Amino acid sequence: MKKSLLVLLGMMMILWLAACSGDDSSEDTSGDTDDTSEETDTDSDSEASGDQVTLRIAWWGSQPRHDYTLEVIELYEEQNPNVTIEPEYASWDDYWQKLSPQAAANELPDIIQMDLSYISQYAENGQLADLEPFLGSEIDDSNIAENTIEGGRINDGLYGFNLGSNALSFQYNPEILAEIGIEEIPETYSWDEYQEMAQQAADAGYYFDNGMQADVFFNYYLRQNGARLYAEDGSGLGYDDDQLFVDFFTIIQEQVEVEATPTPDFMAQLAGPEDDPVVLGDGVGIFQWSNQFVGLEDMSEHTFAFATPPGENLEDGLFLKPSMYFSISENSEQKEAAAAFIDFWVNDVEANKLILGDRGVPVSSVVQEEIADDVSEAQQAVFDYVAWAEENSTPMGAPDPAGAGEIIEQLTNISEQIAYGEITPEDAAEHFRTQAEGILGN
Amino acid sequence: MQTHMKQNLWGYLFIGPFIIGFLAFTIIPIIASFYFSFTSYDLFNSPEWIGLDNFKEMFTSDPRYLHSLKITFIYVFAGVPLRLLFALVVAMLLNTASRAVGLYRTLYYLPSLIGGSVAVAIMWRQIFGDDGIVNLALMTMGIDPVRWFGNPTAALWMLIFLSVWQFGSSMLIFLAGLKSIPQSYYEAASVDGASFFQKFFNITIPMLSPVILFNAVMQTIAAFMTFVPAYIISKGTGGPLDGTLLYSLYLFKQGFEFFHMGYASAMAWVMLVIIGILTSLIFFSSKYWVHYESEGGR
Amino acid sequence: MQAKYLKKIIYHLIVGCFAILLLYPVIWLIMSSFKSSEKIFATAESLIPQPFILGNYAQGWAGFGDYGFDTYILNTFIFVILVLIGHLISCSLIAFGFARLKFAGRSFWFAIMILTLMLPYEVVMIPQYIIFAQLDWLNSLKPLVVPAYFGHPFFIFLLVQFIRTIPRELDEAAIIDGCNTFGIYRRIILPLIVPALATTSIFTFYWTWDNLLGPVLYLNSPSKYTVSMALNMFLSNETVSNWGAMFAMSVVSLIPVFIIFFIFQRYVVDGISTSGLKG
Repeated sequence: MKKSLLVLLGMMMILWLAACSGDDSSEDTSGDTDDTSEETDTDSDSEASGDQVTLRIAWWGSQPRHDYTLEVIELYEEQNPNVTIEPEYASWDDYWQKLSPQAAANELPDIIQMDLSYISQYAENGQLADLEPFLGSEIDDSNIAENTIEGGRINDGLYGFNLGSNALSFQYNPEILAEIGIEEIPETYSWDEYQEMAQQAADAGYYFDNGMQADVFFNYYLRQNGARLYAEDGSGLGYDDDQLFVDFFTIIQEQVEVEATPTPDFMAQLAGPEDDPVVLGDGVGIFQWSNQFVGLEDMSEHTFAFATPPGENLEDGLFLKPSMYFSISENSEQKEAAAAFIDFWVNDVEANKLILGDRGVPVSSVVQEEIADDVSEAQQAVFDYVAWAEENSTPMGAPDPAGAGEIIEQLTNISEQIAYGEITPEDAAEHFRTQAEGILGN
Repeated sequence: MQTHMKQNLWGYLFIGPFIIGFLAFTIIPIIASFYFSFTSYDLFNSPEWIGLDNFKEMFTSDPRYLHSLKITFIYVFAGVPLRLLFALVVAMLLNTASRAVGLYRTLYYLPSLIGGSVAVAIMWRQIFGDDGIVNLALMTMGIDPVRWFGNPTAALWMLIFLSVWQFGSSMLIFLAGLKSIPQSYYEAASVDGASFFQKFFNITIPMLSPVILFNAVMQTIAAFMTFVPAYIISKGTGGPLDGTLLYSLYLFKQGFEFFHMGYASAMAWVMLVIIGILTSLIFFSSKYWVHYESEGGR
Repeated sequence: MQAKYLKKIIYHLIVGCFAILLLYPVIWLIMSSFKSSEKIFATAESLIPQPFILGNYAQGWAGFGDYGFDTYILNTFIFVILVLIGHLISCSLIAFGFARLKFAGRSFWFAIMILTLMLPYEVVMIPQYIIFAQLDWLNSLKPLVVPAYFGHPFFIFLLVQFIRTIPRELDEAAIIDGCNTFGIYRRIILPLIVPALATTSIFTFYWTWDNLLGPVLYLNSPSKYTVSMALNMFLSNETVSNWGAMFAMSVVSLIPVFIIFFIFQRYVVDGISTSGLKG
């Protein structure tokens, strides 16, 4: 025991001697870490001398996405030897945690994967570059629908390049549907018919669905009634009649009451999406975005099929949502090179044979056709549904305004309170309006 | 005079690194956050001076803020004493000369080593799940199962249990403290025929008091700032019904999800005042119950 | 004699059973790492993996893109060791200053130090990030490591409390022997606070090992990522998360921390009792 103590003490002494003059210690460590910064220094040196370009690109995602994105980058570097791409990837939470200080310090990567819920926040505050000048030059948009590109427009500028489209859908388990005595879900069905089918499921001891995400489906419901969640200019709510709020959330609440939808405390108890009753085969289907279909099939032992969400006025309700964007940061010094990479991403067939629609159904019609044979069956079903939705939907309109994050949180909270019976839909409608107008009016 | 100068010189020589580090990395951010608390600041544009509006909003028109303050108080005042008591009892149990004790110590410490990864959240969700082991135990005792994640009060208690479960760091500090009590004191007491409780209250507690003070202060501060468990357990929402919306989680949401960094900074400074008052109270009271060997008994 | 044995058995029974109870979640975690991702949730209440698979470990170890998990572990090790050295040197010095030396402004600086503990990191994060950006320290370990060489309030306070339990007579004896202030620190105090230094080492080790926010903010290149960042990358908010690999690598990343704890805990408790207070 004494010996080991001496060893430890000896270590401390050495440490002490090494740090004799106090401040040296910090220089020591910077010596250690300098190696890494020197590497990057030489990189930038060669940049200056030749035509070498170094691009930083950041994205969020999971393991398969990291893997194939790196392959695409490799492919691009092979074809463009003068370009070096430094990838920076992370999980969703970590990604946004990292991005805001980078924005505050003007250190954003050149190419940033953007999400609909954040793009206004970053664009309106001058963090993102307008992509309009690159269209037709660096970025070939000849095979991309105008409507798709417009998905990245905020006010007068194009601040994100749409990478793929999603549409709202009902993803159901045909076996269970048959079991509850329904042969087929019609292409359009009213909200009343929806509730009838749900009742049938409940009677047979199944859940019909697992609820509707408040902000997404309330907006969908509003669109069917000629309104939308946010005013087009982002200055307030996009609906005037609070009865719409009451009607929608009453339907949701009734679903829980007849046990066609699990109670909120049951849903809160689930450990993860893998535990979901629909995944386990205790429910008919899930209302969610089309791209989530592939994950659902992967997670579950059951197979699923596509149907539309409820409401007679389907076309007004449905819209194509940009699944995600690539944006270029305003502080980037190589905007042209960054735009060229985005072009490669959306238009190159070889690259898209690696991507295989993971970031949403490819926006280029040529690419979509070329990779049709390579994608999985599930992915093909997604492509087909989105292609159908493209014909049967209306434009999305302006992306969520800055401050939408807070509104979504308020709406989720209030819908939770309704579900727990803490507040009536009528009071909730009024409450939500006051809060939301307060947030957006700022 | 000479010795004074010399004493000061030695003092600053030793604490010099702290002062340099403080001036270099800490003081500017602290001042900046103090300034932000009087502004409307969204991280992207320059802060805009709005005086005391942030503070006014907190206490007059933000029910979520008051709610999160309330549950944080419950979390701190229920969690910290439980955790410390638990840690002290286990530390005393493990403060023996048994051969297996090193293994026990490590095993008891293991829950704390796991830390705050997502794996913990999943694990905790399983254990408190509908047919998890906790509800199983409750049912065998004839108690109705509880929806731990679906009930706001239960969810808060589950967070408290998590913090008690990860009692290892306090336990370790207690152990180190217990070990530094000279064995001769106990031997002398035994010779005098003192009972276990007499030894505990007359030797262990006074000798351990500086360490108890340390643990009390640090655990209180840490409990007020608890963020990771609430974040991972509630999947970042603070739900159900804001039942786990601890102060730091709400602060984080304001700062980084709603981009109200000014408001978040104001919240931080209010918290600093609250913790500051509590800590000073503990420090002030320590004059009466903490015994420093170096300053010769009371 | 028999009573003594009985006492021992009861002791081990209580402590052992209690340990198992506390460890149930950990055992669950380890066992789940041998189940396939789909089975983890479906068979959550069973501890026995059926079938028992090792694939999660292989998959997790392969990491992401060009970097395997070994890279992340190595990165984290370097990070942790550099911070550990910093804490041991700086905190013991500073603590000695606060605990043993009388100088003008001592209480003031001590209060400042405690104060820095009370402000949530979230609100000083952005200004601090900008400072490190100005220094051109981004995408390196510097912002994470250099501050460790200027002390950490938690450990300074911890060491201060331990030094204050050491009788001053020892210092006085040393002065008579001709030691100067630095000599007291080195010859008297340092050997006696070994348990507290071991505690500091353990805490530093696993706090730094677990640290997520710091690396997320300051490390950009995947070649520099740490274990905590890598673990999160198995998760997905859109599609299926690779729970199996995440659990497996969580277990793997627990091993170094476990070993370090097992080694250092002896010093926490054996340090003083063997060297004694003979001065």
